Amino acid sequence: MQLIAKLGILADAAKYDASCASSGAPKRSSRGSEGLGATDGMGICHSYTPDGRCVSLLKVLLTNFCLYDCQYCVNRRSSNVPRARFTPEEVVRLTLDFYRRNCISGLFLSSGIIRSADYTMEQLIRVARLLRETHNFRGYIHLKTIPDADPLLIEEAGRLADRLSVNIELPTDASLKRLAPEKHAHTIRQAMAVIHQGQQAVAGEPKAPRFTPAGQSTQVIVGADATDDSTLLRNAESLYRGYGLKRVYYSAFSPIPDSPGSVPLAAPPLLREHRLYQADFLLRGYGYQAGELLGEAGNLALDIDPKLAWALANREVFPLDVNRAEPALLARIPGIGLRSVQRLVALRRERRVRYDDLIQLRCVLDKARPFIITSDYRPAQGELRSGLLRARLREPQAPVQMGLWG
Amino acid sequence: MIALECDDLFATWRDQARTLLGHGIDPAQVSWVQGPIDDLLAVPTALPDAPGPFRAKVPAALLSLLEQAARYRGEQRWNLLYEVLWRVAHGDRTAMLAGDRLGSELHRRIKQVSREAHHLHAFVRFVPLPDALAEQLQLDLVAYHEPAHDILHSASGHFADRLGRQRWLIATPQDGIRFDGQAFDYQRNCPQNWRKWARNADDPGAELWRTYYRHTFNPARLNPDALRLHMPGRFWRHLPEGMLIPQLEGLARQGKQRDGQAVEVAGQRGKQITRSAP
Repeated sequence: MQLIAKLGILADAAKYDASCASSGAPKRSSRGSEGLGATDGMGICHSYTPDGRCVSLLKVLLTNFCLYDCQYCVNRRSSNVPRARFTPEEVVRLTLDFYRRNCISGLFLSSGIIRSADYTMEQLIRVARLLRETHNFRGYIHLKTIPDADPLLIEEAGRLADRLSVNIELPTDASLKRLAPEKHAHTIRQAMAVIHQGQQAVAGEPKAPRFTPAGQSTQVIVGADATDDSTLLRNAESLYRGYGLKRVYYSAFSPIPDSPGSVPLAAPPLLREHRLYQADFLLRGYGYQAGELLGEAGNLALDIDPKLAWALANREVFPLDVNRAEPALLARIPGIGLRSVQRLVALRRERRVRYDDLIQLRCVLDKARPFIITSDYRPAQGELRSGLLRARLREPQAPVQMGLWG
Repeated sequence: MIALECDDLFATWRDQARTLLGHGIDPAQVSWVQGPIDDLLAVPTALPDAPGPFRAKVPAALLSLLEQAARYRGEQRWNLLYEVLWRVAHGDRTAMLAGDRLGSELHRRIKQVSREAHHLHAFVRFVPLPDALAEQLQLDLVAYHEPAHDILHSASGHFADRLGRQRWLIATPQDGIRFDGQAFDYQRNCPQNWRKWARNADDPGAELWRTYYRHTFNPARLNPDALRLHMPGRFWRHLPEGMLIPQLEGLARQGKQRDGQAVEVAGQRGKQITRSAP
C-alpha cells in the first residue's frame, strides 16, 4: 500500500483522541546543530480543521489492526474498517517532512494492540528512538502508553517522550467491563503510577535525564455511557492529585460507522464537553474543588458557565470590593479572568480602581456587575435574586452547530 | 507643530523622542508623518538639534513595552508612543498599565503584535526545494508570508532553533529574511529574487500534508467559526490546506456528519479481525 493511502487510514483512525497539545516541553534548540526541532514550553497550533480543533502534532496510529473490541472505538476488532500499518521508518519520514515544512511541532503516536501489549509498546518506542537518536529530533513527542505493557517499557518511553498518556476512556469499572472488556481500571491506574513514579524520581534533580517533562495526560469519553459530570469531575480531581496529571481531556463520544448496539447512535451535546473543560480549568487554574462546582450527583448546567453557577449559588461571598479583595477571591468573580486579576492588582497599587478601569481591562461586565464594588460603583441593595440574575445571564441555547444534531 | 519622519524605525523615533522630551515639547505639538499624506495642520518646525535641559527618568520596562508596541502598523503608530512616554516621564506611571485608557491601547497593540508573531510561527509554510535547485541557490526551504505587523525580524529566530543547519528564507510583501545555517540576512526591502523563489516554488509533496489534514478533520464536529477565530482567512491562501477548508465544510454540511469517518475511508473495503490474527 502507498504511504499516502496508509496516512489517510491511520490519521482517520486516530482523530478520536482529542489531545493535540505540544506545550510544556523543556527548552530545546537545534540552532547550529545536526538534526531538527525545538521546543520552548509554548505549544503552537499550526493549523485548524473545520471542526475548530487545533493541529499541532502529526497524530496517527502506527497501526489500526487491533485485538481489542472496545465498543466505542472505530478500530475495534469487530469493526469493518480498512486496516493499515506503518513501518516505524515511514512514521519518521512523515514526521520529519511535516516538521520541516512547519506544519507540525511534533508527533503524537498511538496504536492498536497487535500481538501483545509489550510488542505494541516496543514498536512505539522504536519510532521515538529512531527520531531522537538516529535523526536528532528535538521536537515534541507524545506517546500513547499501553496499560498492560511492562513497566520497564513504560519507563523507556518516558525517557524519550515529552508526554505519555494512558487513556481511561470510561470513568467507571462497570462501564469498562461492559464496553471495553479487555481493559481494566486497575492496570490503567498502575500504568499512571509508573509514569508518576518516573517523574518523581527525577523531580528536583536538574542533572537527571528528563522523564516526560511535559507530564502525563488522559482522556475520558463523555456520553458513551451514563456517567454524570459530577463523577467525571471528581474522578479528574483524584487523578490530578493522585498521579500529578497535567491534563484530563474530555472527548464527547463521536458516533462511529457500524456502531454496535451497546453505544449511543448520537453524540452528546458538544456544549457538555465544553462545560466540562471550563470546570476542569477551574479545578486546575483557579483553586476550585470538584465538590464546590457540583455539590451533588448530576451534570453541569448547560445554560451558564460553571464559574457563574458557583457565584450564583454563593451570593453571600459577593459583592467583592476589587480594591481590597484577595487575588484568589477576585478570580472567583464571573467575567474576570486570571489575567485581569493580575492587572487589577498592579493597577490598585498605583491608585483606586474605578468602574471604567474594568471596561478598559475588557472584563465581561455584564457578568461581573452584580458581584463587584469599585471606588465609584456598588450594586443596588439586594439588587436581584439569583434566579432573576440567572435568567438574565444565561446564554442563548442551541447555537448553530448544535442545531445540526437535530 | 513639529512634523517628524522616523522611517518606521524604532531607534530613530527613540532619538527624536528623547530630544523632544528634553525640551519639554508636549505631545500635542508633535506629529509623526505616516505614509504620503502629511498632517495638513502641521506647519513644519524644526526639531531642536541639541539635547534639552529636562532629564527624564523612565523605567527600563517602559522602553521594552514601547519597542514592542512600535511593531504595530496602524494609525497614530508613533504619536501614541510619545504620549505614553510623556506621561510616564512626568510621573504618571498608570499610562503604561492596561487599566488606563492610553495604556489599554498600548497593551492592545502589544498583544496584536505578539499574536502576529505567533501567527508567523504557526502559519509559515516552507516548501522544500529539489536538490539541484537547493544546491544552486544554497537554500533548502522557502516560504512566503504576509504578516500584518513588523514582526518578521524580531520573530524569525524561532525558525533557526527549529531547523538546525537547514538554509531557509521567508519573503513578505515588505521585508525578507534569509538564514544560511549560521547567520541571518535581514532585508527591510525584500529582494525581488527572494520573493520570486518563494512565490513560485513547485510543491508536489504538499499532497501528503493535505491528505493528513483531510483525515484528521472530524466532520461530525463541524465548527467553522472556531476555525476562523483562530486561523483568520487572510492566511489561508498561503497554506497548502487552505483550499480544502471550504470544500470540507461543504461536504460535512451535506450530511456527512452522522459519524466522524472521512468519505474516502468509508468507501474502502473493511477488514474485521479474528482473535488469532494478525
